[in-house]
Amino acid sequence: MQQIATDIALKPRFPLKNWLHAPVSAAPLAVFRMVFGLLMLGSTLRFWAFGWIEDHYLESKVQFKYFGFEWVTLLSPAGMYALHVGMILGALGILLGWYYRWSAALFFVCFTYTELIDLTYYLNHYYFVSWVALMLIFVPAHRLFSIDAWRKPGIYGTETARWSILIFQFLLGTVYVFAGLAKINYTWLIDALPLRIWLPAADAIPVLGPLFAWHYLPWVFSWAGMLYDCTIVGWLSWSRTRVWAYATVVLFHTITGILFQIGVFPVVMMGATLIFFPEKFHQRVLAVLGKTLPIRPIKWLESLVFEGNKRVRMILLGIFACFHLCFPWRYLAYPGNLFWTEEGYRFSWRVMLMEKAGTALFYVKDGVTGREGVVDNQAFLCNHQEKQMAMQPDMIVQFAHFLKKHYEAQGVQQVKVRAEVYVTLNARPSKLLIDPQLDLTTVQDSWRPKTWILPY
Amino acid sequence: MHHTRIFRNLMGTFLILGVMGACKEQQKTGSDFDRTNMLTIYADQLIIPAYNTLQTWVNALQVAWTGFEINPNTTSLQTVQIAWKQAFLAWQNVNAYNFGPAGEAGLQKSLVEEIGTFPVDTSQIAAFILAGDLTLNNSDRDTRGFLALDYLLFHASDQLINEAPRRAYSGAVIQHLKSKIDAVVTGWTGYRASFIAANGTDAGSSTSLLYNEFVRSFENIKNYKVGLPAGKRPGQTMPEPMRTEAFHSGYSLEALKEHLNAIRHIYDGNTGGGAVTPGFKAYLNSVVGGPELVSATEAQWLLVKVALDAVPVDKPLSQLMQEEHLSIDALHTELQKHTRFFKSDLSSLLGIAITFSSSDGD
Repeated sequence: MQQIATDIALKPRFPLKNWLHAPVSAAPLAVFRMVFGLLMLGSTLRFWAFGWIEDHYLESKVQFKYFGFEWVTLLSPAGMYALHVGMILGALGILLGWYYRWSAALFFVCFTYTELIDLTYYLNHYYFVSWVALMLIFVPAHRLFSIDAWRKPGIYGTETARWSILIFQFLLGTVYVFAGLAKINYTWLIDALPLRIWLPAADAIPVLGPLFAWHYLPWVFSWAGMLYDCTIVGWLSWSRTRVWAYATVVLFHTITGILFQIGVFPVVMMGATLIFFPEKFHQRVLAVLGKTLPIRPIKWLESLVFEGNKRVRMILLGIFACFHLCFPWRYLAYPGNLFWTEEGYRFSWRVMLMEKAGTALFYVKDGVTGREGVVDNQAFLCNHQEKQMAMQPDMIVQFAHFLKKHYEAQGVQQVKVRAEVYVTLNARPSKLLIDPQLDLTTVQDSWRPKTWILPY
Repeated sequence: MHHTRIFRNLMGTFLILGVMGACKEQQKTGSDFDRTNMLTIYADQLIIPAYNTLQTWVNALQVAWTGFEINPNTTSLQTVQIAWKQAFLAWQNVNAYNFGPAGEAGLQKSLVEEIGTFPVDTSQIAAFILAGDLTLNNSDRDTRGFLALDYLLFHASDQLINEAPRRAYSGAVIQHLKSKIDAVVTGWTGYRASFIAANGTDAGSSTSLLYNEFVRSFENIKNYKVGLPAGKRPGQTMPEPMRTEAFHSGYSLEALKEHLNAIRHIYDGNTGGGAVTPGFKAYLNSVVGGPELVSATEAQWLLVKVALDAVPVDKPLSQLMQEEHLSIDALHTELQKHTRFFKSDLSSLLGIAITFSSSDGD
């Protein structure tokens, strides 16, 4: 690897800063960019083709807001299609490296806005995609193998600073390790729940079905899944085990992809983990894909990754790392069983961890006449919304507030809303989740512990 | 090679740990339950026979109607009314099978919406009769089907005997009813094989379809057959007895009992005559937490049954609704309490998917 002149300027008394800014091959970043662009293009088209823009958004009567993002609202049909066109153009731009940074920004904004419209559709992998898209804006992933580099030869370069690759490896690392740590609990490891529910339900899958019906498989999968998540980044990082580890990645995500209805997620992880492979691998991939373009580095791009204000960059990287290392632990600040209260459950890489379902009956009372009626949830919510709402306290409060507004407009006076919510968690007989007498219109969602959730 | 050995050791560890965990546990998983068998039984011994019975009674209704048209009088009308009642009760037994050939297709709504809508719009029916409009292919589904006949055959019967346009409209409604049911019966001969073949638990599988419609049907009893006429919706300031199913004939309670009984039979896998086959209940009994849920469900069902039996039979249901009779209140409450056992507990334990959307990946 040839070193870049600017490297010399780094002072040895900041070993971490120097190490993070050391030049490495830009090939892994280029491959990562293309794989990500391609997958996002495919998954957006898939979402559109399945009619999910209509099902999830256009046909919805109510949207559940993210705390702090109440200003994100459903757009008109034209607006919703425009957001998805934006995602497609952004993903194409990322894939081709065409107006790359603008494309990454466009994709990030359109994708994240769409995800923030309705809490119902929260998925950890959407959260992951938002982060990756955000980070892509700030790294020169278009130095190699891009239309930009061909259009403006000055963009071309074979090297990038180490941090620009490391942040993606770091993010993937947190995803896996937190997902693994979340599995270290009695129910998952000893009771083998929820896999003891999910695996037998998959016994009709062609070829593999009979295997999933094997009595001991839930325990094997529970332990293997936990060990896989906790350690896979290590095996991927170690050159001696890398190939085998990647084979495990493919096998693991293929199996989960067959077993569960999880869309494009398995392929995203198989694509993203390629970033753990060494430079040579990625250079070979690019060589196979075509010839690289003429070299003519210019200064301004170098400054983006190597120079510029290194102090500010170190601070930003520090904040980034702290956030990802700390945020998933916030559940520790809340009393009670995390799976039951879900306080601090989201944005913490807790994936496919529990089988939870509920039935929520809402009672709306006219404070003047004293007459109380029962709501037909399906009059306002689709199946998916009702299912998600019926087991998550913050969504229950939101729906109660919606009902208050709705029935006030209908002429009901001094509206009180209470809910009888029975929730089953990992095959446990269903129990009341919240105080059924509490007037939910008096409750506001916040970061504070929800004391009205009944104990597990 | 070194890394191969590390990997092999790792996989070995996975396996040992897995088996160690497994040995601690004696309880069986659902691995020995045969869903294909369950679906075959549902198709051959519950669903198809229920549709066949319905078809038989609708045919009888049409025969009776032909007799009435030749000689319209009180006696021949009574024969029609008796046939309608039998067909209407048979209809309760297919209410939960509102999928496959009975499901939505293009512009056509599901069978329950096409021929089971209530309350009916009597002024719109009058308008159609006046205009001589017998097409019945508009979107006013509350002007045809079983409950339109409930109005036409039982309300002001002298009009039906004396007025030809009213008879013509009623005849067209019966014909429409028959064509819809015939189409579903025919549809099942082709659909049966794919119903049995789709033996997974994913969205779109037969277990999921049957389960979803089973729950919807149960909720329809609670929401539309009891709750709404009793004035149990928010915003309602009083009971609305006109919304009672079969308001005009007054066979509301009998139909309600038949419908609940049908729901129970589906849950039990009861093919009638006491024979109990592997259905949802047997399936539940084979999975983790299932036996507990089955006994909780049975206990609550008993309360539903007690509440149902306590509803007086000497008055029409609609009148009890009007009176805000305490027995209706009690029945509504017990049905509410029962909802969770069917709606979320059952699907959670059986791992039945209820939507097509992607869920969280691992």
